[in-house]
Amino acid sequence: MTITLLYILLSILIIISMYVMISRNLFSVIISTTIFSMICALIFLLLDAIDVSLTEAAVGAGISTILFLSTIRYVDIIAADTKKNTVPIVILFFLLLMSMSVLIYDLPELGKVDVANNSQATKYYIHHSKTEMGVPNVVTSVLAGYRGFDTLGEVIVIFIAGISVLGILRNNKRGI
Amino acid sequence: MKHHTIPRIVTKLIIPLILLFGLYIQFHGDYSAGGGFQAGVIIASGFILYNIIFGLEVGLSILSINMTKNLMAIGILLYIAVGFMGIIQGLNFLEYNALLDSSKQGQLLGIFLVELGVGLTVSNVMILIFYSFNNLGGKL
Repeated sequence: MTITLLYILLSILIIISMYVMISRNLFSVIISTTIFSMICALIFLLLDAIDVSLTEAAVGAGISTILFLSTIRYVDIIAADTKKNTVPIVILFFLLLMSMSVLIYDLPELGKVDVANNSQATKYYIHHSKTEMGVPNVVTSVLAGYRGFDTLGEVIVIFIAGISVLGILRNNKRGI
Repeated sequence: MKHHTIPRIVTKLIIPLILLFGLYIQFHGDYSAGGGFQAGVIIASGFILYNIIFGLEVGLSILSINMTKNLMAIGILLYIAVGFMGIIQGLNFLEYNALLDSSKQGQLLGIFLVELGVGLTVSNVMILIFYSFNNLGGKL
């Protein structure tokens, strides 16, 4: 049942991404990427990755849509050059799709035991998180506890993104 | 958007719920899904909704641009300060055992503070980016 639903959702993703490549209307492209993010969140939810799903729904479907929409208010041409030839884009799309479909068979099966992802480190986290950290949610204990230094790096990346946007878009006269 | 009654009323009703949900995700991240990143983004989106409906001037009077800049720096400094607590007591960087006498309680407090720092930084960076994007015409 879950697998069938996953396949349906993944095929919807392919259709949406094809529409995003072909369409020339910026507004409908932004809304389509929002739908793309929501379906991605649903897929993560089906795969039991609740934290990732929450992040995808909040960041991908929420904040980035607002930022894109507030940006295209300043773009004069909403629907750019509609007469442009879309045939090369479609050919490129199908070539990429075919090469990725071939590569998918090299991915390990979902939940297989003897894969690098499910090796010693994961088992250690799952077995020792409760006794060492006292935190029931393993994701939080890995993110903030065992891998705290990586999270510090991520936060610094977000901070740098914030000051870069401020530096590019700031208005010198009013001193924002 | 000031003259649209329905969005204004719905926003007034929904914003407390969004902020409450964000705080729940923030402080209950140890026990259920969520954490600083998600909570920061949810709180920021609630605040941005307020800005869209009631106008940027009202939003800026609540949380000014300088305030967002300070708060995002404070969040990251809180994270680094928690890390240096370990070094001061002769342990490793980001070793939460140094925070309290009991090791497990120290871990919980460390994760709590670190997530708080992440939430502060992420929410204020998002609000600051929103302000910057809405300043493209130089209106602020």
